Amino acid sequence: MRTSFLAALVVAAALPLPVAAAGSDDNSLTVAFAREMDTLNPYLNTTREGVILSRHVWDGLVHRDQETGDYVGNLATGWSWVDDTTLEFTLREGVTFHNGEPFNADDVVYTMNFVADPANGVNPQRNVSWIREAVKIDDNTVRIITDGPFPAALEFLSGPVVILPDTYFAEVGPEGMATAPIGTGPYKLTENVPGESLTLERFADYHANGPKGTASIDKISWRTIPDANTQMAEMLSGGMDWIWQVPSDQAERLASTGRYTVANESTMRIGYIFFDAGDRYGDTPFDDVRVRHAVSHAINRQAIVDNLLKGGSQVVHSACFPSQFGCDTDVTRYEYDPEKAMALLAEAGYPNGFEIPFVAYRNRDYAEAMMSDLAAVGITPKLDYKKYAATRDQIQAGEVPLAFMTWGSYSINDISAITSVFFKGGKDDYARDPEVIAALDEGDTVTDPEVRKAAYSRALNKIADESYWLPLFSYNTNYVHDTNLNFTPTPDEIPTFYGASWK
Amino acid sequence: MTGIDNDMIIAPSPAQQMRRRALRHWGFLIGGSLLGLIVLLALIAPLIAPHDPYVQDLSQRFLRPVFMGGTWEYPLGTDHLGRDYLSRLLYGARISLTIGLVTAIISGLIGTTLGVAAGYFGGRVDTIVMFIITVRLSMPVVLVALAVVALFGGSLTVVVLVLGFLLWDQFAVVMRTSTQQIRSQDYLISAQALGCSTTRIVMTEIMPNVLNNLIVIITLEMAHAIILEAALSFLGLGVQPPLPSWGLMIAEGKDMLFFEPFLITIPGIALFALIFSINMLGDGVRDVTAPENRN
Amino acid sequence: MPRFLLKRLGLAALVAFTVSLISFSLLFLAGDPAVALAGEAATEEDIQAIRAQYGFDRPIAIQYMAWLSGAVVGDFGESYYFKTPVMELIASRLPTTMQLGLAGICFALLLAVPLGVAAAIRPNSLIDRFALFVSVVGQAMPTFWFSLILIVIFAVNLGFVPVSGTDTWRHFILPTIVLGYFATPGIMRLTRAGMLEVLRADYIRTARAKGLHPVKVLFKHALRNAAIPVVGLAAVQLGFMLGGSIVVESIFALNGAGLLAFESINRNDFPVVQALILIFSIIYVLLTLLADLLNAWLDPRIRVA
Repeated sequence: MRTSFLAALVVAAALPLPVAAAGSDDNSLTVAFAREMDTLNPYLNTTREGVILSRHVWDGLVHRDQETGDYVGNLATGWSWVDDTTLEFTLREGVTFHNGEPFNADDVVYTMNFVADPANGVNPQRNVSWIREAVKIDDNTVRIITDGPFPAALEFLSGPVVILPDTYFAEVGPEGMATAPIGTGPYKLTENVPGESLTLERFADYHANGPKGTASIDKISWRTIPDANTQMAEMLSGGMDWIWQVPSDQAERLASTGRYTVANESTMRIGYIFFDAGDRYGDTPFDDVRVRHAVSHAINRQAIVDNLLKGGSQVVHSACFPSQFGCDTDVTRYEYDPEKAMALLAEAGYPNGFEIPFVAYRNRDYAEAMMSDLAAVGITPKLDYKKYAATRDQIQAGEVPLAFMTWGSYSINDISAITSVFFKGGKDDYARDPEVIAALDEGDTVTDPEVRKAAYSRALNKIADESYWLPLFSYNTNYVHDTNLNFTPTPDEIPTFYGASWK
Repeated sequence: MTGIDNDMIIAPSPAQQMRRRALRHWGFLIGGSLLGLIVLLALIAPLIAPHDPYVQDLSQRFLRPVFMGGTWEYPLGTDHLGRDYLSRLLYGARISLTIGLVTAIISGLIGTTLGVAAGYFGGRVDTIVMFIITVRLSMPVVLVALAVVALFGGSLTVVVLVLGFLLWDQFAVVMRTSTQQIRSQDYLISAQALGCSTTRIVMTEIMPNVLNNLIVIITLEMAHAIILEAALSFLGLGVQPPLPSWGLMIAEGKDMLFFEPFLITIPGIALFALIFSINMLGDGVRDVTAPENRN
Repeated sequence: MPRFLLKRLGLAALVAFTVSLISFSLLFLAGDPAVALAGEAATEEDIQAIRAQYGFDRPIAIQYMAWLSGAVVGDFGESYYFKTPVMELIASRLPTTMQLGLAGICFALLLAVPLGVAAAIRPNSLIDRFALFVSVVGQAMPTFWFSLILIVIFAVNLGFVPVSGTDTWRHFILPTIVLGYFATPGIMRLTRAGMLEVLRADYIRTARAKGLHPVKVLFKHALRNAAIPVVGLAAVQLGFMLGGSIVVESIFALNGAGLLAFESINRNDFPVVQALILIFSIIYVLLTLLADLLNAWLDPRIRVA
């Protein structure tokens, strides 16, 4: 009995036989995502899956070209700032919604005015809180009035702010939009089995001259599979064509089978360690800047990037993602130097180190690697690994002396989406440095790009000098798919299948 | 249970007979020696572990065990952080055994107190205890344990406390029945008549007589706790790394399930062996001490 | 009989009430769910607004009373995550778990009862040892580990069955085996013990002595009596399975109540977790009641009493 049991385990060690791709025969694509969306309504969902879906089913007025980073017209063909707070758009003609409703200025005005009203509960509010109102000039011209000068307007209009059909929406309301979504996008939703799958079919009347081009895949089966191993098993058994967010080790092994293409793309998410520098938690060794410097020198970020994250990841030094507007990367750097770390600790009065709670919510292996580095210089972190919500709750309550956190800037390519969120004296700010707060306030409100850059640079330099944060590394995402599939990943971590095709 | 005392009458002495039964009972022997071996390995882990179980070497990740082409430097290979798998396995035995033992003690104390009280006093106390048992049984263990650990953060202490407070039902049920049976015996009635205090009666008359049942339940609940902790750790809501619990090792190794299956089969077999030996021993103890109850 | 039923139903209600009280206090001890509700991109203002909207600033007793008054009429409030009624959500997921649980218990009975009977007829034979082995392995095999190994062997390497999903009955094969095997040891042991006891009983000896066919004796007389405790255990095991299918459902991506529970825990979606704990409790209590009734029907002695 024991022998047959062991034999079964040996069988388990063998890699499976090659199998055909799931969808290449009928030009369909089966993809897996880990999370079930809270709602399909693009203005209420809070998941990345929801963002991805919204890029397929809906369109924005503008579109950001992922290669050049430039904004190009989508539902609008042209735009201009009339004054500091007024943006005028010329709309594309001949566009229709999935239900046949023609697209025109009324849809834009209706959508903008609906989402701008806080009573309608758009979540998160910052996606739309900058919109005061929209005004129809004629059938193809619309003006959007912003709530004060808002330089990042186009960024939001190319992302979360999509256009809904006014007639249909007025009829079915937000609930109807969540159960039977209608948009102008390259794919229309034809089936929704909550918690299991979505079916998207190519929208035949899509405006082919738009920046999203003409989709090639006829049908997308979008499955929700929470367990990463189950996703991988589906991939290996031929039940799946595309998965993503595959950890680097597995991605490497999958690539080496020759049956899968692994594409790696860096993302806007960065990891960081923050210290209780401003005494919110209470008296900690981190009140002393030398201890913060010591930790910065103790952690071998390069080794973690090289061995664990791999791919397009890089060590980052300033408290933002390098491509973000205003992200000055020329700040004080802390190289890996455990001796120096120990010297600094001794100087600060901790020759034998200390014990400290350490909070983290994802990438337990990275956290473990950092803990091991810290242990090597005498610091003993006690890991408290919890779900994100619980962690953030605890942080905002001021109950965390040391944490490994990450932030994705919700793919907004502007420093205000990260540094200003954490260093302007709010509940997430453990430094509460008035100089930093003032510099960020200036950067967030002026419109002159050069003045903004200078202000942000001041803030980032102070943060780095004082080691309020230890920025760790940028993340990357592995996309694994059938070798016969053409698929191009983008740095905004929003995979889109309207550009994908079978070879 | 009819015809209980047949063995006693024929036997030369109960202790002698028990010893003879134990030596003939292969489940008892196998379970006992396997568990003994695991406990021994756990105790001398610091002496025999070839490496520090917590020290990582990121350049030595996923090395294979010696029987799969690895080297004796790392006899069972290394994990995703380049830590020696054998050392972690040895230290992991300590964690898993601790979890099983402490949980069994906590739940044993709660369950035995409730069960003996219900059996001894009967009446209203019994009704209340039965109600508490029903409430506890009706609560889905895994779901409640997951929710509590998710809310209060996973750590050895939280896991042990949660499991201890959830797994006492068997103790209560069995102790209640056993106490009820003993309560109606003559010697107890005479002890009461002599004016012995309740505590004294429970300690000197009842406890020794329910001990064998208690041992059986302790083993079962130990196994139960170890397997539940493994499941919690597997779902990411168990003990905290870098502690090497076997469940956590499986959870950490499962990412490489299709590529380096040794990472889950080794702790998996260890876990299997531990649960197997505890269960065999438990069955054995029951058979040896009370052969008429074998089922 | 009606009085007995009424009393048991009253007990069930009391149990449900107590369970709800315990789980409610536990979940709300943990703090403020507003952050979870708002999502990663939320600002402090978003969180404040949500706190006020859901009334998290009220005292816990008031929140509990509000919840309870809804719960008694089947209104468990709205899911924080989906923003839809919890009852609808659970109603859409529970059938999958029920199917899985029923399939699992059938599998367990089909495996365990014949094995237990065979083992009892020939104690200490090879088949008895095999039965013991099956049960010991079943007790010692962690469910999640067993699932992974089955997936690797039968779904990935051999391709006999699909890995995950609920589309066809074939999707249920592996999860059914895993869940059913988990319940096998208990049922097997009880069947064996019951049969051993019954076979020794006087009336079986009498029946045999009267010259009745051994097979008839076995099935008509012995098994019927031995089945009484097994039925009870099976019902109880089914209750455990429904509450314990979390691991299996999350590995096989079965979109049932167990997976919903796990995901809801991860999302801090308290109303759903709270309602699920309560519903699983009620199902368990009802199943034990059902077992008692079945026992009464099977066992004339109880019926008379």
